[in-house]
Amino acid sequence: MIQDLTRRELLAGAGALLARPVLSRAATAPTGRVTVAKCKTYGPELVPTLGKMFDELGGLGRLVKGKTVALKVNFIGVRWQRLDGAKMEDTFWSHPRMIGATVHFLGLAGARRIRVLEGSWSSAEPLEELMLSQNWRPQDILNAAPNVEFENTNYLGTGKKYSRFMVPGGGLIYPGYDLNHSYEDCDVFISLAKLKEHAAAGFTMSMKNVYGATPPTIYGTGAGVDEPSIRPHGSRGLFHSAFRLPSKSAPQQKDMTLPTEPGYRLPRIVAEICAARPVHLAIIEGIHAATGAETNYGGSRPQAAVQPGVLIAGTNCVATDAVGLSAIGYNPMADRGTAPFATADNTLHLAEDLGVGVRDLSRNEIVGTPIKDVVFSYGAVRDRILAAQKKG
Amino acid sequence: MALDAESVPMRWPAGPLDIARGEKQKGFTAETAAVLRQWLDPASLAVVQGSPVNCLVVSWASGLPADAAQQQALKPLIEKGKQAGLGFVGLIEGEANKPAALAAAQATGLSAVAMDGAQPLSAGIPVIPWNKSAQTRGAANSPILGISDGVWPGVSTAPPPAGGPTTLPWIDSNGSLLLIARALAPDKSVWIGFDPPAQAKLTPEAYMLAVADSASYGARWAISLDDPLRADLSARKQPAVDTWKKVTDTLTFFQQHKQARTYQPAGVLAVISSFAGPDWEAGRDALNTLARLRQPFRVIARSRAAGASLAGLKAIYYVDPEAPDAALRQKLMAFANGGGALFVPSKWPNPEGQPVKAEPYLLFNVRAVGKGRLAVCKEERPDAYLAAADVQVIMSHRNDILRLYSASSANGFYQTSAQGGQGVIHLLNYACRPGSDGPLFYVRDTYKSARLVSPELASASALKLDPQAEGGAEVFLPRLSVYGAIELEK
Repeated sequence: MIQDLTRRELLAGAGALLARPVLSRAATAPTGRVTVAKCKTYGPELVPTLGKMFDELGGLGRLVKGKTVALKVNFIGVRWQRLDGAKMEDTFWSHPRMIGATVHFLGLAGARRIRVLEGSWSSAEPLEELMLSQNWRPQDILNAAPNVEFENTNYLGTGKKYSRFMVPGGGLIYPGYDLNHSYEDCDVFISLAKLKEHAAAGFTMSMKNVYGATPPTIYGTGAGVDEPSIRPHGSRGLFHSAFRLPSKSAPQQKDMTLPTEPGYRLPRIVAEICAARPVHLAIIEGIHAATGAETNYGGSRPQAAVQPGVLIAGTNCVATDAVGLSAIGYNPMADRGTAPFATADNTLHLAEDLGVGVRDLSRNEIVGTPIKDVVFSYGAVRDRILAAQKKG
Repeated sequence: MALDAESVPMRWPAGPLDIARGEKQKGFTAETAAVLRQWLDPASLAVVQGSPVNCLVVSWASGLPADAAQQQALKPLIEKGKQAGLGFVGLIEGEANKPAALAAAQATGLSAVAMDGAQPLSAGIPVIPWNKSAQTRGAANSPILGISDGVWPGVSTAPPPAGGPTTLPWIDSNGSLLLIARALAPDKSVWIGFDPPAQAKLTPEAYMLAVADSASYGARWAISLDDPLRADLSARKQPAVDTWKKVTDTLTFFQQHKQARTYQPAGVLAVISSFAGPDWEAGRDALNTLARLRQPFRVIARSRAAGASLAGLKAIYYVDPEAPDAALRQKLMAFANGGGALFVPSKWPNPEGQPVKAEPYLLFNVRAVGKGRLAVCKEERPDAYLAAADVQVIMSHRNDILRLYSASSANGFYQTSAQGGQGVIHLLNYACRPGSDGPLFYVRDTYKSARLVSPELASASALKLDPQAEGGAEVFLPRLSVYGAIELEK
């Protein structure tokens, strides 16, 4: 009933109407094929499982042979903070063996060049250094295939200028984004994500992983005002609440009267980045992962290191994330007000409107292990933690 | 009582001089004045009876009319204290008539005086240099070196440095000041003075941290209690009595583990600076930021660098804005040519070697020299945090000897014995309350055993060293409010 709505909700609703594309592209959004597999460990079972999954998607060769591949991994989460004592790769970060296995298959499939990319938090450190700080062996990834490189995309890096990606249809909040050159200088773009929730957007999977491509030199709390800063300063907080503008050199917010709450902004920003920089292959790794979120705002999402033991890969990021949401016990068709979208709009719905993909599982082709056989309810984990906390 | 490394000082405000000075302060109350009179009473010494405190630092002269009355009024307290085995140090400050104050101190039988500025050539009594950290200096006739401007340790309420970390809160610690003092005067015991922040309601844990922050770096805090605590302690009120017990228990703990005072800071990075005059800020800031980046380091005073051993080092950060003299430059370049990484200021005429490719954002131009690297800063006055962060990146985490996880408000400080057979890792939690997870250390050196000791624990407990595939081991600790030490044996 309308009298139950707060002013903020009313504004958000009005904003949503304003910001929705005049012509929804949902009808023409592509469907995808998604494969699901159980995989309990990062041991010997990983490589054959992943290989079978890629075969079920039609093989990687047709996608990457002779091509430059950009593989966006996920190193988001405070690297000096271990949840339940578990290593970063067992909770929030892409696991080195998962990265290595993926690189291995890309090499086998004939990729000419493989560039592993990430913009971790607000650091400009080479990715090798991030890996070394966790006692990883970067050479294991570099040697997993020929011509493997790393680049930290949090700043200009080795590029001469930032690359501009415009959102088809004009965008919901920003008409376009300026990213590190690596996201343009590739033929194939792969998002290798972790099976995670997010405090503000509800979930972090292959689509939200691409949000980490945005450089804090332009979108960080300490970004340059007119031009990008030389090095990143601060997190991408302006995406959460619009407390400042991106560097003036980048495309600016379309309408400054739009709601500023994270649950409104983040899903739209994620959806439009994925529209602007399409994902050709989405992979979600949930062998070991974490419930809650990388940062636990106010304790509303109790965190736990968990072992769902599942891998998901697909040719469309919306379809793949829809399967991922189902695999952790949520309904991808849910909208604001229903978990995990208690206080956020559904990124998948917004992306569908932008023509990125289709969230309805029945319209996508799901192969491999049935989803019902891999479901690992993150909500149930949270409920158990909350019950234990209540008990004292 | 002669002062030595075992002297445990406590600031003992009492008498007419402290009252006169207090009356000039806003918010000074009649109750505080009464406590200052009460602490002049020899009976008040019961507070320290049976505690590790064995030296009281009293106000002696500060150029006020009350100076003479103060010295007279203190006599009974000093007489009784000396009979009880206590030492007394008279603090001479401000515009005091120093010759007269020194003479009176000698006549009264003080163990020493503490004063700033130039030291008198023949005082007839040990004089503890009591200077601000930027003017740290030793004195020939005192085994103690004093620093008068320490900070109350804790999570900082001030904004972090401009280039500061976004994921770790900034903290206030005296660790760097104390390491500098030890580097400048390695044969001295270091005392540091700082008072509780005005109007703050301090927990017992905050006082424990104040003791531990100094003691873990091998120094002594001249214990200073806030006014309400002193008032309640005099009246034997709770919780003041319990708070004081925690302070003295922490002092006792460090007395029982004093072996660590003989250990040296472990690190494959050495920081060289004069730590004086125009170089002071750059040197101090480099150490503070490296500590917050959890980068272990050794400190070498430039005045001692020519004779310093560089064994075991992988990198040297020469912080001072001006290049060193020819002899030191030669020594540093020999280190780099031999395979080390040498970080130098922008004023480094005719840099040796050839440029090599490096990350474009770095504040340093990296050059290949011999088997090593020379990194020349691009800016004359670089941001201390960014420069330290870049030193860490160029050195590479490959060379980490210690890492600390799940303790965002904590710092770790790693020391090893002279022969390397023992090590100790101090964990200092500046939040003064346990985190949600227990902290975890990674230590590169190989040890056979580890045990946790802490003033918060009734007894030592064995810790499991979890070997890592890439060498070294991880050690989990239980949640601690303030301080714990991992004692390691090879």
